[in-house]
Amino acid sequence: MLERTYKNLSKIWMVVFSIGLVALIMKFITGERLAGYGSYVPWGLWVALYFHFVGIAGGVFALGTLGYIFNLTGFRENFRVVIIVSVASVITGLFAIWLDLGQPFRFTRILYAPNFGSMMAFNAWMYTFFIITAGVIFYLTLNKAKQTDFHDKKRWVLPLMSLGFLFSIAFPSQSGAFFGVVDAKPFWSSPLLPILFLVSAITSGGAVLLLVYTFLHYEEFDLTHQPFKMLRYTIIGGIIFYFVAEFAEYSLVFWSPNSHIREAVELILFGPFWWVFWFVHLGGALVALYLLLKGKTYQTVGTGAFIVAVTFVSARLNILIPGQAVAELKGLKEAFYHERLRFDYSATLNEYLIALFIGAFGVALVYFGIKFLSQFTKKKLGTEL
Amino acid sequence: MRTAGVVGGGVAASVAAVTASRLSPPPEVPTGKETIRDIPEFKTVEINEKSDILIRMQAELKKALAKPVEERRWMMVIDTRKCVGCHACTVACIAENKLPPGVVYRPVVQEEIGEYPNTQLRFFPRPCMQCEEPSCVAVCPVNATWKRPDGITQIDYDKCIGCRYCISACPYGARTSDFGEYYTEDTPELQPYELLSSNEYGKSWNREGHNSPIGNARKCHFCLHRLNEGELPMCVSTCVGRANYFGDANDPDSLVAEMARQHNQVKLLEEKGTKPSVIYLI
Repeated sequence: MLERTYKNLSKIWMVVFSIGLVALIMKFITGERLAGYGSYVPWGLWVALYFHFVGIAGGVFALGTLGYIFNLTGFRENFRVVIIVSVASVITGLFAIWLDLGQPFRFTRILYAPNFGSMMAFNAWMYTFFIITAGVIFYLTLNKAKQTDFHDKKRWVLPLMSLGFLFSIAFPSQSGAFFGVVDAKPFWSSPLLPILFLVSAITSGGAVLLLVYTFLHYEEFDLTHQPFKMLRYTIIGGIIFYFVAEFAEYSLVFWSPNSHIREAVELILFGPFWWVFWFVHLGGALVALYLLLKGKTYQTVGTGAFIVAVTFVSARLNILIPGQAVAELKGLKEAFYHERLRFDYSATLNEYLIALFIGAFGVALVYFGIKFLSQFTKKKLGTEL
Repeated sequence: MRTAGVVGGGVAASVAAVTASRLSPPPEVPTGKETIRDIPEFKTVEINEKSDILIRMQAELKKALAKPVEERRWMMVIDTRKCVGCHACTVACIAENKLPPGVVYRPVVQEEIGEYPNTQLRFFPRPCMQCEEPSCVAVCPVNATWKRPDGITQIDYDKCIGCRYCISACPYGARTSDFGEYYTEDTPELQPYELLSSNEYGKSWNREGHNSPIGNARKCHFCLHRLNEGELPMCVSTCVGRANYFGDANDPDSLVAEMARQHNQVKLLEEKGTKPSVIYLI
């Protein structure tokens, strides 16, 4: 059964990867000319994907660490899988944002000539430290007498894991602060934003982790046991919390007579991309909630987790695009017409195809990461990951 | 509660880093007499209150250029009662800076006041506001944009990574990205005027391949290259209605300083706290 699923999934992956690769080559030949974003809406789909993937990375690591510390079945002995999924997600997110840069081959400047006053530079350094910390933790977990042990031989795992946990909580919330500090966009200047980003990170990270566990261990654990139980309830709680917070924010706008962000919220709910909120975001969440609550098989629970992992990118898009699509200086839209000077944004075919490539790239990193490092640990410890 | 503490720790670290970076000196700040050539005297023109304001501003410009760069503070005043919305400044700016499609430094925003039939049109040319507290500088992750001591916000195209954070952070929409487009790219060949190099920030820039300024953020710089040659910004020179005033705000006798003291002056989006150096008379 699983063999057939793997075969079908690998075929789909091959198609997605190949088409995406062609789009990627086109992008490198033409620069940004095939992209749909412009100067008034300068960030589009790839930036949303970046925030989605780094959120997943944070969520995966945070939940994995909690499972490890509280010794929930399946977490401690699988912590290296948590590290691989988390680091693969960060790298995928960074790859997405790297593609979005106008001068991508200068990205290293952010590491050797940073302005820490910018949230972007601060985030970049945090990802770097996180990847290094995660790598060291991975190495240290090889020095445990038994994989279910709490400490490694030199007892460095716990302090470093705490540091990694701090990063994994801090960078999704800082992703929210990334927008929050932009005073030019009133829709983003909400103190709720770092919380929303953190909650969506935990939710979508939990979903990805559940999906990975389903593929790796569905024969070993019962659905009512850990880690499935903890992850299921975390995702369900996360979805409910996210929508309550979102309702609080949006309802205030409609109750306030002259809310300065009304235009942006109306755009989300009733604008040209209304379906992203109602069908993808809300609809996806409701279907996922049903499957996660009622699901009795791995297939249904896994499908629920997959829906959350994919549709929660709409949460990012619904913050990113409406925040930019409302001009602070009224009349600017009509002042000088050009395709790149518009306040509406639709992703182009090239952007969508590259987005698929980014997703396929992330899946490949996780798959080959687990595969390669399984061989490595097999040699080192005599056991697989 | 525990999570809140952890997040709080991250935020405290961010604040410490931000404070430290704000205290460190900005990079590449020009000092002293920056390039000033031998600008001819207006020997045959008497400058008095009857002179064309361009002549007066030209003379004041020369006076300002004689001072060290850190003692100058460039300012622009735009009289909206004189602006007829002819867009000559927009076009002149495009020609002067060889701006490609989709890049505009000085669009003219049109505002309709009142309700039909009691309506009136007002025009707001919108250059870069050269803010005293520019939000674009604070967000740049690689220090590619900074504030010069003479008040102009400068971009280093060679450092800019093209992340467009500064574009998002500008409340005036004054920054645009160069997407590498050409006016004649779908015709048999690019025309020579498209391949002319522009002179921005003391350097000559050729738009070829993926080289800067393609992929970078671009914006008005008060025609810094012209100022250094003792010439007024192109939009000021071109304005048929003489609606633009430009000069050194540190010189209290200058025309621009005089205009900035008018009771009917306003600044755009003042509530954003960016303290723009462009003032509008209404």
